[in-house]
Amino acid sequence: MSPTRPEAPPSRVLLLMATKTYRAGAFLEAASRLGIPVAVGSEETHVLSGLNPRGNLQVDFHDLEGATDKIVEFAQENPLDTIVSTDDDGVVLAAMASDALGLTHSPMVAVRAARDKYHTRQALTAAGMRTPEYLRFSVDDDPSEIAQQVSYPCVVKPLALAASRGVMRADDPEQFVVAFERLVSILRGVEHGDGTPVGDQILVEGFIPGAEVAVEGMLIAGELLVLAIFDKPDPLDGPYFEETIYVTPSRHPQEVQAEIVDATGQAVAALGLTEGPIHAEMRVNEQGAWILEVAPRSIGGYCSRALRFGSDATLEELILQQALGHPLNSTEPASPASGVMMIPIPKAGILCEMQGVASAQEVPGIEEIRLTIPVGQAVVPLPEGSQYLGFIFSRAENPERAEAALRQAHARLNFVILPPDEADSHEPGETAVDVPDFRAQNKPN
Amino acid sequence: MIEITDAAQEKLLEIQNSREEEIVGLKVAIKGRGPAGFDHSMQFVVAGEEPEDAVITEAGELRIFVEQGSVDNLKGSKINFIPATGVFDIENPNPPFVWDDPLAQQVQDVLTEQINPGVAQHGGWITLLNVKDDVAYIELGGGCVGCGLVDVTLKQGVEVAIKASVPQIVSVVDTTDHASGTNPYFQQSKNDPHHQADKGGQAPASPFA
Repeated sequence: MSPTRPEAPPSRVLLLMATKTYRAGAFLEAASRLGIPVAVGSEETHVLSGLNPRGNLQVDFHDLEGATDKIVEFAQENPLDTIVSTDDDGVVLAAMASDALGLTHSPMVAVRAARDKYHTRQALTAAGMRTPEYLRFSVDDDPSEIAQQVSYPCVVKPLALAASRGVMRADDPEQFVVAFERLVSILRGVEHGDGTPVGDQILVEGFIPGAEVAVEGMLIAGELLVLAIFDKPDPLDGPYFEETIYVTPSRHPQEVQAEIVDATGQAVAALGLTEGPIHAEMRVNEQGAWILEVAPRSIGGYCSRALRFGSDATLEELILQQALGHPLNSTEPASPASGVMMIPIPKAGILCEMQGVASAQEVPGIEEIRLTIPVGQAVVPLPEGSQYLGFIFSRAENPERAEAALRQAHARLNFVILPPDEADSHEPGETAVDVPDFRAQNKPN
Repeated sequence: MIEITDAAQEKLLEIQNSREEEIVGLKVAIKGRGPAGFDHSMQFVVAGEEPEDAVITEAGELRIFVEQGSVDNLKGSKINFIPATGVFDIENPNPPFVWDDPLAQQVQDVLTEQINPGVAQHGGWITLLNVKDDVAYIELGGGCVGCGLVDVTLKQGVEVAIKASVPQIVSVVDTTDHASGTNPYFQQSKNDPHHQADKGGQAPASPFA
């Protein structure tokens, strides 16, 4: 896409991305396709940053004021037209630095609220939206006492971790104490890159039965444009809440989809979000739609690859166009149906071998299988873990076939995971594969 | 063109004769370039699957199929077999970072002088595979593979540096993930055990196993 005025210098984007992001390639490729010059802000500079000082900036996502000062100083020499965070890690900094530079962005207070599950609950409750009962506790509180205060079934979750990490269901006080203590242990073992703890608070909320869906949308001057509604056909009833399959378009009746869209719009308005991508998660049951989360970012991991628009534009292209105030390319889906499966880690151990990849790739409708953990690496399942073994992508003429392809492909995969003491002596079979496109694991937020 | 030591010839014939398929020769090619020089590949050629464009040469009792694009860079090479380690080794006297194509040579110079010294500090290297239609095809090695910032390094470092020094280059394509089938340029042969393994298929037994 061309800039709005041929004589104007091309608009310039600062992309904030954690070093462990999955999204770098997609955003940089999108910028390249659109002809948009980019600078990258990350916790560490890459090895060749000296060759392109205008294109790289080191920022600490946890030192918001210091990082904002750095971005403002950087922008004086290298003018910026917008700041986009590729993931959760940088959304608050993007908002704060945008404020400082007078760039269009959702208000920082709204972004902060959306990043915090407790504040999200408060905002949604204040707006009169359906939301589970919720209480916030400290990791230092006595779970035995809390167990008497909460209703069952309930869900314990950290305020800040992502990808369902640390989220557990409890059906009675005994399970609650176990889940609470387990989450405390998880939180005490997770630090930000600078060594500070990720959080010391725990949210306990009522378990909402029902089908779970995700909404991918874009806010433009406060107006919500829904890009996709994903069904999650695997039941997410606990005890852990491992994401697996997302399929779009939704197969819920039109009136339910309208309610999903309406609830999403109400939620972003309640939080005060006005610009940029949003990713909402909600449950739908006979009472209606229950918002679980509205994140001021796009869908995580490699999942955005399941979405293509118009003549094969990516979600990242739309995000950059919106951020710069450019007209969006077509937002019509490029195919009738698509899906993605996050391949769950079945057990803890050392990943020794991956089998059946070629066979899985041959399943009709499978577009790509992207493995993300290399052989030899330790793997940890939920709730302690935060990774997936990889992603399977499908495209088909309807959502039923897109889902079936994902399940069939997954059934052909076999991951050999062994205890560390057995892993060293394991000899891969004939179908062992290397991971050619390994990306390091996501860090906790 | 290519010399094979007696030890290598003996071992190759031993392996060749142990195979069930009818082996008609050995295909040798330059697969890439690494920090230590050329990266060679050797594969047995099964009857009926002879490469059409290869240059055929005889070395003792062995027929060698030299891949067309590798002929110049394999001249004077010698295939050794080291019994103590059980591995084959190709001594190649040709300079690995010299290209006939002046445009490729300019890109190579940027890699050699500006990029690889920095990348090497993190245990990695970047290899130029080819320049075709003003597009530079590169491959990552060592510490670059799996680095979380690799896409940033490529787009914000490698590509910027190459385009700044060689404006004729319109794009830099990373082929490191070619085995996933996403890259149309760097197609490996179906009989390459490494390729088959990467694709998760039934890897044919290596001729050197």
